[in-house]
This record gives sequence, C-alpha cells and structure tokens, in this order.
Amino acid sequence: MSRQNEWAMWIAATIAVAVLVHVVTIYALPRRIMARTLRRMGPPNTIHFAKRPDETSRGVVSPSPDLLYSACPFDLSKGPLKITASVPHSTYWSVSGFDAATNNFFVRNDQQIAGDSIEIIALRPGMPLPPLDAAPVRVIVFVPTNKGLFLFRLLINDEKQQPALDALRRQASCGTVASLPTPH
Amino acid sequence: MLVVGTTIGIVATWLTVFHRTPGGISDGPWKTNLTSGSARSDPYQRAFVAIHGLLALNQSEAIYYTATVDNDGHALDGRCRYEITGHDPDARWWSITAYGADDYLIPNPAHRYSVSETDIARAASGGFAVQVGGERRGGNWIPVGPGRFSLTLRLYNPGPSVVRDPAHTALPALKEVSCS
Repeated sequence: MSRQNEWAMWIAATIAVAVLVHVVTIYALPRRIMARTLRRMGPPNTIHFAKRPDETSRGVVSPSPDLLYSACPFDLSKGPLKITASVPHSTYWSVSGFDAATNNFFVRNDQQIAGDSIEIIALRPGMPLPPLDAAPVRVIVFVPTNKGLFLFRLLINDEKQQPALDALRRQASCGTVASLPTPH
Repeated sequence: MLVVGTTIGIVATWLTVFHRTPGGISDGPWKTNLTSGSARSDPYQRAFVAIHGLLALNQSEAIYYTATVDNDGHALDGRCRYEITGHDPDARWWSITAYGADDYLIPNPAHRYSVSETDIARAASGGFAVQVGGERRGGNWIPVGPGRFSLTLRLYNPGPSVVRDPAHTALPALKEVSCS
C-alpha cells in the first residue's frame, strides 16, 4: 500500500470513529442526564416535594420560580404505579410523565380534570392491569420505558396562598400498586 | 486514529449541543422549537433540551421561547440594561424568567427571578414595560448578574394564535437601554 493510500485510510477511519462517537454521545446524553436526575431525586416509586426554586436550586436546569414542583421518579420493573393527587381549580396545575429518554409522553392539567382529585395507574404495555377500587377520576397510562418521572407543577398565583397550595400538593402520593393496600 | 477520532466526535457533540442556539422558529429575539419535549424531537433537539431545559412539556401544554439576544441581535449582557415592552401573550398564563450561563436562576439580593402574568404591573392601555438588569426602577424588574444571560418566555396552555403561527404571534420586544 502506498503512503498516500495509508493516509487516506487513516483519515477515513478517523472520520468514521468521529462520526460514531458523535452519534453515540448525542443519543446517550439525554438518557444519561435523565438517569442522573432520577438518582439525585431519591428513591423511586415515592413522591418528593421540592422546595420553591431559587438561586440555590440545582436539581433540574431552568426551573420556574413561580411553580411548586413535586416529582415521582418511577421504576416499573417492580410493577404498575399508582399516583393520586388533589387537583386545584383556582390555579394552573398539571401532572406530566417523562420517559428515560426525556420525552414527555403524558400530560393532564387542572382544566382537563372534572373532579378535585385524580388517580393515575401507570404501567408498561403488556402488563396486566391490577385490581382497582372505585376512583372518581382515573387515568390509565402506558409508559414507554421502565424508568422515568411523573412531575407535578403547581402555579403560585398568589403569594399569600403559597402555604395553602403547598399543603394541597403534599396530599399527592405515588407507589407501586403491589406495595399499596389491596382494594376491598 | 482512535484518540483523534474520539476527540473530534466529542468536540462535535460539544459544539452542536452545548453551544447550539435554541433552534426552530424565531419571533423577533425569541426562539422556540415546537418539538421540544416530545418524542418527535430529533436527537440534537432532545440532547439540547436535556442540557438546557430538562423536563420541558410538549407544545400542547406549554411553549417555551428563549432569547439570548435583544431585538438588534446583540447577545444579552448583564452589564447592560434592557427593557421588555408589550402586551400579554395569548396564553392562559405566561412568565419571563432570567437564567445565567449555567441555566440556573441568577443570584441577586432581591431574590427576584421573573415577572409573570400574575404579578406584572400594567399601564392603563394594558401594556407593560419590564426592566431587565441595572438598578431597580419600579416593580417590573428582573435583576441579572454581570455575565451573559438568557430569558425564557413560558406560555402555559398557549392560545390559538400562538399554536397556529408561533413565528408571528405578538411577543414582547426586548431592547437595550444602556450599557456600562
């Protein structure tokens, strides 16, 4: 092989490696960032109430200082997840689901829910639906990945109402259906 | 060859994601990408959002516009003072928040980070003016630090005019007033 051909081969191989590394890192970045965020939030299948975002908040980038966030990182390998929450109708409220690749696969806000509470059953496609008791508003959600996050947003539309809104959001719960009491 | 190729690949990722401007649609200095947060997002946009705006809602629920430059195209600089003027955007609720170069809220003695539909003071005409940076002048004020910063305009439950044509909806103007 001539020296010129050796150089051409070297350049082609280097470009191939560069493209491969670039594609892999672009694909992996959101998944790694999401996995790290979920780990930092704490144990899965339980709800975590974040303090109101301020300049010291480092949990998630670009937080809104006008919202109260609550999060339920989940791991569906342990079975379906049950989420319950009180829904205010005096301000913006939403619950949204994010998969392991950061995609927002589900969202409901207060204007889309008729009652004052909601129950969400989250499960992977193919998982059998667990036995359920009666619930005023229940949503069944099929989740694309085993791990991910349900995130509650609650707008503080009146500073004086913050304690009441904080108390309301703390009524939310999440856990694997297997760990919850069996319905009668 | 492996070392050089890997280095080039990582640098390319760094440049395309960390130094990428929020792409997609522009409306004055405000930029948005309607696939943010959704599974329709391309890998570059998904990586960009993961780094700069993780857990963004999809466009059916919220649209996020980001400004890193003013109306004249100059990069936002904390040593300058800016004015945001306009009327309420078409949305159920909106806010404008300042973020530092690290994408977190900017430390300031007043602990003020945003203005919103809820707390903004409006003129009799319904319009508003918000000062960004500099010393406080009135209630509509967002302090920023001395370095580069960005502004995020959140539109929760965006109205039909925004959803129909997000590049030509009436968004606030962002103009430099003075620079020290």
